This record gives sequence, C-alpha cells and structure tokens, in this order.
Amino acid sequence: MKHSLIKLAAPLALAALVALPGLPAYAQSGPVKIGVATSLTGPYADLGEEVKRAVTFAAKEAAAKGTLKGRTVQYEFADAETDPEVARRASEKLVLGGYKLLVGLISSAQGLAVGGQLEKWDALYLATINKSNKLTADACNTRMFRANHSDAMDMAVIGPWLKSRPEKDWVIMAADYAWGRDSAEEFTKAAKVAGKNLKASYFAPIGTKDYAPHIQQIKDQKAQGMWVAISGRDAINFGVQADQFGLLKTIFPVSQSFAVPLTIKGMGPIAEGIWGIINYSDGLDTPANKAFVAAWKKEFNRDPANFEAETYVGMQLLFAAVAKAGSDEPEKVAKALEGLSLDDTIFGKVTMRAQDHQLIMPNYMGKVGKVGAELKPVIEMAVDGSIATPAPDPSCKMK
Amino acid sequence: MLIQILNGLVYGTFLFAMASGLALMFGLRRIVNFAHGALYMLGAYFGYTAAKLAGFWGGLLVAALGLAVLGVALDILVFRPLRGRDPLTTLLVTFGLALISEDFIQTFWGNDTHSFAEPALLSGVVQLPGTTFPIYRLAIVAFGILVAGGLAFWLTRSKVGLYVRAASHDPVIAAVQGVDTDRLSALVVGVGAALAGMAGVVAAPILSISPAMAADILVDSFIVVVIGGLGSLGGAFAAALILGQINVLGVVFLPELTALLPFLLMMAVLIWRPTGLAGSRV
Repeated sequence: MKHSLIKLAAPLALAALVALPGLPAYAQSGPVKIGVATSLTGPYADLGEEVKRAVTFAAKEAAAKGTLKGRTVQYEFADAETDPEVARRASEKLVLGGYKLLVGLISSAQGLAVGGQLEKWDALYLATINKSNKLTADACNTRMFRANHSDAMDMAVIGPWLKSRPEKDWVIMAADYAWGRDSAEEFTKAAKVAGKNLKASYFAPIGTKDYAPHIQQIKDQKAQGMWVAISGRDAINFGVQADQFGLLKTIFPVSQSFAVPLTIKGMGPIAEGIWGIINYSDGLDTPANKAFVAAWKKEFNRDPANFEAETYVGMQLLFAAVAKAGSDEPEKVAKALEGLSLDDTIFGKVTMRAQDHQLIMPNYMGKVGKVGAELKPVIEMAVDGSIATPAPDPSCKMK
Repeated sequence: MLIQILNGLVYGTFLFAMASGLALMFGLRRIVNFAHGALYMLGAYFGYTAAKLAGFWGGLLVAALGLAVLGVALDILVFRPLRGRDPLTTLLVTFGLALISEDFIQTFWGNDTHSFAEPALLSGVVQLPGTTFPIYRLAIVAFGILVAGGLAFWLTRSKVGLYVRAASHDPVIAAVQGVDTDRLSALVVGVGAALAGMAGVVAAPILSISPAMAADILVDSFIVVVIGGLGSLGGAFAAALILGQINVLGVVFLPELTALLPFLLMMAVLIWRPTGLAGSRV
C-alpha cells in the first residue's frame, strides 16, 4: 500500500511542480542546438556564406560573454539551395536531428515553405533575410519570427522619398518569387500614392543568366526611374548587363537588396551612385556597432555586410530568448521572444513585436559612394523604428 | 523586336560554343560528360586569375591552353579506363568530378561572386536603328560563329577531321584501318575542354563567375545536345540558335513560361524525333 502511494505521489508531485506558476523555469543543460538551413550552393550561395559567418560569429560571442549562462551553442548547417521544397526537407532533417531552432533561409519562398510546418515539427524559425510581408502578415504564426527589415518597412522609407523625386515614369525589375513579387506590389502602391506613373513590371526567375531581353523591354519603355528588387549573383549579372546596354546611364535606378556590399564588390564602379534602401551600414553611429565592426574585422578581415549584421542581431535575440526562457524548447523560446527588447544592439534598441513577430528597428536610405578607396552604401536618410515599422498587417492572425 | 532576335542570337551562339565540346565528346567517346560545366567554370576561374596579370586576352589564352591540357588528362585518366563500362558508371564518375571541381573552386577562390570587364577593344555600344547595342555581345556572336566555322572546317577539310568522323561512326573499323583512336580521343576531349574553358572566359564579362556557374550552364548545354541529336555538331548549332530565340521570345511573349519552354521543346523533340533534329552523329 505504501509503495503504491509513493508510486502515485511521485509523478503527481512532479506534475504539480511543473504546473506551478511563478516558479523559475527549469534550467536545461547541454548545448543550445541551432539549425542553419541556408543556401550553400546555387545563385544565393554567397548570401549563405554571409549567414554562416554571422551565425558562427554570434555563437562565439555568446559563448565568450556567457549569454547562455554556461550553455554552449551547437550549430549544424544544411544546404537549402534556393528551392522551397529543398529548404523544407533540409529544415525537417535538422529538426529531426534535434536542431529545432531554425535560422538562415535566404529566399522568402523558402521561409514561407518552412513556416507552415513549424507547429507540426515543434520547431521555431527566426528569419533574418526573408523580406516578404507574408511572413508577418497572412502567413504569420506563433513559431515564426522576423529579425530583419520587411518589404513594408523598406517601403515606409521609400514612399515619402519617392514623392520628392522628379522622375515621373517608372518601371519595376524584380526577382520572380515571393520577395520580388511582394516588393513590386509594395512599390506599385507607393508609386501610386506618390503620383508616379508605373509603366511596366518585369520579373525574372532566380538564376537568370541573360537579362538582355528584360533590359531591352525596359529600354523600350523609356521610363525615367526603375525600382530594382534582385539580389545576390542575379543582381550582379543584371547590373553588369544593364550597364553594358547603357541602361544605367539613361534611367534612375532605386533598389532594394540590389546594391549591397556583396553585390557592389561584384559590380565594381558601375554601382557608384545607385540609390536604395540600406538596411545596415558598418558606419552606423552606435557604440555596439563600432564594437561589432571592430570585432568582425578582426575575425574575418572584412567589413560586415547587411545580411550579416541582420543575422547577427537575430542570433542575439534568439540567445537572449533562450536565456530568458531558461530553455531551448521552441515553444518556450517563442513565448520569450514575444515582446523581447534588446537595448544595446548595433541598431540601438530593438523590440520583437508580439502581434506579428516583426522586429521593430530603424531603417535607412542612401546611395553607393566612396568611403576611402572602397565603394559602400552611404546613408543619406535615417528613419526611426517607430516610423520605419508600419503597424501590424490585419491579416496576421496568430495561430 | 529585331533587337530581341539579336539578343537571342547572342545567347544561342554562346550556347553553341559551350555545348560543341559536349557534342564532340559524345560523338567520339559516347560519354555523357556531367563534368562539362565544371570545365567551363575552371576555364572562367583560370582566365579570371590570369587576366589580372595578363589582361582579358591573356586570360582567354591561359583558359584555352589550361583546359586543353586538363581535357587530355581527363581522357587518358578517366574516360579511357571507363571505356566499355555501363554508361551509368561514366555518368556517376563525371558527376563526381563536377562536385570535386566545385569544391576545389570554393576552397581556392571562395564562394564570392566575381566579374571581370570586357577588353577595352570590345567595350562600349554601337548605334542600331532606334537603340544601342553592346559591342561585346556582337563579339560573342562572332566567337560562336568562329567556333562553328572552325570546327566544321576541321572536321570536313582536314585529315584528322576525317579520322574523327570515321571514329565517331565506328571506332572499331576506324582502328582496324589504322586510326589511333586513343590519341584521337585525347585530342577531341582536349579541344572540347578548351572550347568550354574559352566559353567560360568569354561569358565572364556578362555572366558573373561563381562556383554555381557550372550547374547553371550544364542544363542548357545538355538541352542543346539532346535537341540537336547526341553527337551532332550541326544539330547542336541549330538547337542552340533555336534555344537562344526561345529564351528571348519567351521573356517577351510568355514570361510566365520562360523557364519551362526549353524543357517543353526538348520533350517535344524526344517524342517526335527521338534522335534529335540532326538525327545522326558527326
């Protein structure tokens, strides 16, 4: 009888302990496992390299600073290529291997493909590159977060600026997937509000080699301004070919993720003077950024680029959430992420908005110019996070 | 519209320069060389590195010579021992070589994307009715036509070309007649590799250089060779020109289906004319 009671009491006591509110979360031991599904091959492989650098750097820094209270970080990379289905498979494999905190997907289409599976996998995905509004709008869910700037955030900066531009007729050249389509849609709205005439929109699939037919179509439109939303190697190909056709001399290009440090290096002098959204600049005047840039240069002998910086901030948030939750269980980390603020990041104070899981942070605009001997995006306009982060999309119903 | 047709001609002639080596190799060795894209990539990287010291033309020369040597080595060390084996074995071995080449590039040149400028002689634009057109793109058309004309002349007017055609038709009978098919194969694979390497350099001022470039171009090259008729240079030339036009006209008239059109064409050819447009070997 005694033994039976003990047998009954033990699990009940344990259950009560777990269920008691207000008790400190059970501190886990063992490494915090991060699954990095990113583009290791294909047209976005160099962006994948940036993700790899940012994750390794942030993990090393977290270990050195003791952010995770003695726990180490273990990360595993998987090649998500550029295909959403490959990304889903790669992420699922990572989750099955115990790497349930996912980061690193490059294309928004991949983020969306993984986002819908998170609940089933009992995983969490923190986007640091994906820009499509959908992630924090109609596709939002309790397990998906975004620590980088969305299309809507970029357009909140572009919109007012566009009104001041003299160019009347515009065209759009964008990548043909979720991000490019989203970006084009947002620009179309902004152009309408600014009273501009949008003459045509052109889309090219990821990995397009020859942009000549698109460039000729754009030339035929005789527009004065061009919104470009192409990234990675595709951006370099488009930029170089557009220059060869003389297009960049006859049209005013404004861009999103097109003229960033990675692509500027590939395009060379032709990138000089191209205007665009600058989600991050290594020249940001915050103490945390100065320390970050110095440490990054020491580690990699190069300046940090935009996606590297945004992924770094994302990792800081993830580690802070794990520390706050006292656990790396995805559900608990997700709860800890909601409303989480970091006061001293490279962008200054940032907050993960609970309503749609979008990080509130400042945004910038400017043009490519010479900084010393090097071509870099130079900030001409800074917009505070409260203005740069539009209100949550009403289509986001957390579930 | 004429400009778009010219754009199609540029891409088509470039594709032929790239795929001609693949057709040559298959014609003689009956090898489906999945490493052909890797040869193109290696040529681009060799040329890119050499161009820093010796300019564009120096880079082109280094790529041609370097890849010719690599091609001969590939034939002697890989293709020759695989002769008579199951085609699947050859396919897997060449696929493995492609992966090794990509890792080699990533190790020594990294994952970054590079581009190098066209030579000063070919930079700028020419005025065409109503628009301008890059001179370098016209030079690519000339390069493709030069490769086509050169190969046609070599194969039809020289003794070695006669041997190549004979060995492609029936290697055993050609060997019985005294043709050294091993040396001939090494020569053909060397020429094919050199053409792929040169195509890599010629494409570099337009298409950036990165480790992914091998896989990018391989699919288009195979479509050209399959549509043209495996091993047929004439067929490959026609197929490359058609594919170039489909690529451009697809963007203009059927933008939603552009990526699909080459595959639809290949399927149609395989159904109605399984041996390809030419239907016979070199």
